Parts: sequence; structure tokens; C-alpha cells
Amino acid sequence: MSRHDLGHPALPEERRRDVRRAVRLEVVSLGYLLTCVAVVAATMGNSQAMKAAWIEDLLSLIPPTAFLVAVRVARKPPDPEHPYGHHRSVATGHLVAAVALLTMGLYLLYDNVTKLVTAEHPSIGTVQLLGVTFWQGWLMVAAMVYTGVGPVILGRLKLPLAERLHDKVLHADADMNKADWMTAGGAVLGVIGIGLGLWWADAVAALAISVSVLRDGWRNVRHAVDALVDARAHTVDDTEPHPLNEAARQRLAELDWVREVGIRVRDQGHVFHLEAFVVPHQEQVGVAQLEGAAHLLEELDWKIHDVVVTVVSELPEGKVFVTRGDNRS
Amino acid sequence: MRRLPALPLVAVLLCLLAGCGVGIPSDPDQSLERIRSTGQLRVGVSPHPPFTDFPDGLDAPPTGTEVDLVTGFAEQQGARPVWTPGGEEHLVELMKDQQLDIIIGGLTSQTPYSTDVGVTRSYLTREEPTSDGGTGKRSYVMAVTMGENALLTELEHYLDEVQP
Repeated sequence: MSRHDLGHPALPEERRRDVRRAVRLEVVSLGYLLTCVAVVAATMGNSQAMKAAWIEDLLSLIPPTAFLVAVRVARKPPDPEHPYGHHRSVATGHLVAAVALLTMGLYLLYDNVTKLVTAEHPSIGTVQLLGVTFWQGWLMVAAMVYTGVGPVILGRLKLPLAERLHDKVLHADADMNKADWMTAGGAVLGVIGIGLGLWWADAVAALAISVSVLRDGWRNVRHAVDALVDARAHTVDDTEPHPLNEAARQRLAELDWVREVGIRVRDQGHVFHLEAFVVPHQEQVGVAQLEGAAHLLEELDWKIHDVVVTVVSELPEGKVFVTRGDNRS
Repeated sequence: MRRLPALPLVAVLLCLLAGCGVGIPSDPDQSLERIRSTGQLRVGVSPHPPFTDFPDGLDAPPTGTEVDLVTGFAEQQGARPVWTPGGEEHLVELMKDQQLDIIIGGLTSQTPYSTDVGVTRSYLTREEPTSDGGTGKRSYVMAVTMGENALLTELEHYLDEVQP
């Protein structure tokens, strides 16, 4: 069992490299976030705005942790108790990361609406560092710039990996990174606003950001739950049905012994589980033909991992759905 | 992702602005300006010797170490203190209604009112006997109207100078 095969013995070498990179990235992320937690804790004083940033940093620890756990679990091979393998750990990790993101959005919304409603004027005084007294706001801005720079870089590195590995935990974590740098940027503007005497600047900046974080969180929760109830496979950002749905159907429809074909594909996490219902031209179909068909599908893409091809006299209603754009052969 | 480079730019611009005389931090309600222009620093005093005391009754001016500190701060700002005696909670209410600029009375950094008023950095930290017979560190602070950050900053600078 390789450490980076995602529980998929035939995983291509480039993808294994991607897994290694992703794991490294997430370990770096965790280490970096821990320094952020320490830096913000050291500079926050009694500022409520910085306390919010600190809680967000703590929440941001969840998605990378979920990813590392999910990858660890997913690589376990199937056994009699787990005949489908452990790929679903990804969907579970996705849900955990999504809930963390949603919580962060809700917390930001609640915190800043309260601030605005109670018209809380944040007090930020001075700080003494190495014998110099200066406004603590500058220290906060510096801390926020530090915590904001990392997520921009890390998030950008994670997105292409998430796409290539079809890893939704990694994708949700990139969303979390986006939320991180946006809140850090918002906090910078907010603190400077407070410096200028605009007590509401902080809360308004954070409120605007909370809307974006909430939207990302809600989208991720919905799609994570969708995946857990075996929705048909979607792209890693859940914007559209995965092209492999149609590609696989097409591939089988091209076979000369096949009259009609319907498939259903569910996303196990990284890899797909595909069931194909085939109506043949003749009554007689050979084992070799069926095995060949399954093999064709598995060669289509490494993500098509677990394939069952079965022969039926007509397409089972309520199990396969012919959607628009599917052209019957 | 494209918006971020604007942030350091904004920060730099604001630093320049600060250098050009737009003060950072400044007061949302212009307390410091008002103190300088009216010549009145409104101080709430809760008795707590030796920091604050009313040896000659509540109608006479207070005495104590914090009273001296605040008087010095008022003089530095070209103002004179106007004293309002009272219990802490009453004074905090007055401060929330914008009736006071500073509250003194041996407040520490552990004050339960820290969500209602702004507190300075501690100007004095020392070991003191505690109620359970041991000793513990107490850090003394003053209260300033919440969010009036120019006043808070100015007071902290003053306290740094006189209490190094």
C-alpha cells in the first residue's frame, strides 16, 4: 500500500505527486496558521475585531486537518467490512470543512451585526514595544497583513491540485483561505477606519465579507450533503455535472453490440463509482464483452475506479435518467 | 484575488495622510479637540485611597495619586479638570452618556467595566496582598470614553512620560 495512492492502486504517477504536494501544502498551512493564532493572540489586546480574527484563525485549522485525516483514511484498501474502500472519507471531510466555513460566516455576521446595533466604539490605545510607544492599530495592521499574505499564496496553490485530484476538501479549504485573506484585508481597512475616527468601519467591512463567507459555506455544506446522498458526480467546484458522466455513456454507446445504455455515477471522493445498464442488440452477450466494456471505462480516466456493467432487456426506469444533451445511439 | 494589492497601497496612502496632519488615531466624537478648545477635562472620581480621596468632603476638590496624574494631564492639554464624585457604576453610566472624559478610582486592568469603557494600558503594576492571604499582581489603569482613541492615546503617552 502506497502512502499517496488515495486507496487507488492504479493512480497515475503525476497524481501521486499531486497528493504528496497537497499533503505538504496542508502541513505548511497548519504550521503557518498556528503562528497566526499566536501572532494575533499576542497583538489583539482587548480589541473585539482582533478577537474575531483570532477565532477565524482557529476555525481555519479545521479544513487542513480534515484533509489530512481524509487522505489518511482514503488510502486504506477495501476489506470485507468496507468493500467499497474508504473513499467516502473525502465526502465526510468535505462536510466537516464546509461546516467550519459556514460557522465562520455565521460568527462574522452575528458579531458585526451586534457591533453595529449596539454602536460599539472600539477602543484602541497605544502599545509599548522595545521602548517605543505607538498606536496599537499599526501593530494590528501588521499582524493582519502577516495572516493575510499566507492564505492568498496557499489558496492559489491548492486550487489546481484540488481540481486535478478531484478533492473537495482541498477545494473547500481553498475557499477557507479566500475567507481568511478577505477578513484579514477587511480587518486592515477596519482598523485604519477606526484610526480615522470611523468607529463603524471595522464592522461594516467585516459584514460585507461575512456575506461572501456565508455564501461559500452554505454552498459547500449543500454540496457535501448532496454527495453523501449519492448525487450524480459533479465537477470539483460543484458548478456542473462532471463531464465523465457523458463521456462514459458515450464510450459504451459506441460499442457495436450495444443498442442502448444508461449509467449512473456517484462521487465516492476522489474516485467515481459507476454502474452501467446496457441493452444489447442480441440476446446473447459474452463475459469478455462485458469485461471489455468495464475495462474501456476504467481506461477513460483514473477517477473511474469502481465499475459495474450489467445487461438488461430495457433501461430500468427510476435508476438511470436520460438528461438533455444525452443523445441516444 | 485581484483586490488585495490595493490594501498595502491604501495603508501606505493612509500613513502619508497621517503624516500630513490627519491624525491617526482620532476621536469619533472629537473629545480631545473639545477638551483643548473648552479648556475642561471632565473627570469622574470614585474614592479609593491612596489613588483618589475626598478628605474635605465631596464638595471639596479630591486628592490622591491619580488625581495628581490627571491634573497634570489636564494642564498638559491646556485644560483644567472638572471633578464629578460618584460610585463606579454611576460614573460608568455618565461616561456612556458622554458626560465624562476620564474615570479614576484605583481601577485595575481586571475591571468588569472594560466592555463599557476604554481602559488605558496600566501605568502602575505592583505586588499586593490579596483577600486569600497571598500576594498578587495588580495593574492600575484609568478609564476613557469608549472609542475615543486620540484621547486614550494622548493619555497613555502622558502616563508613560510621568510614570516610566
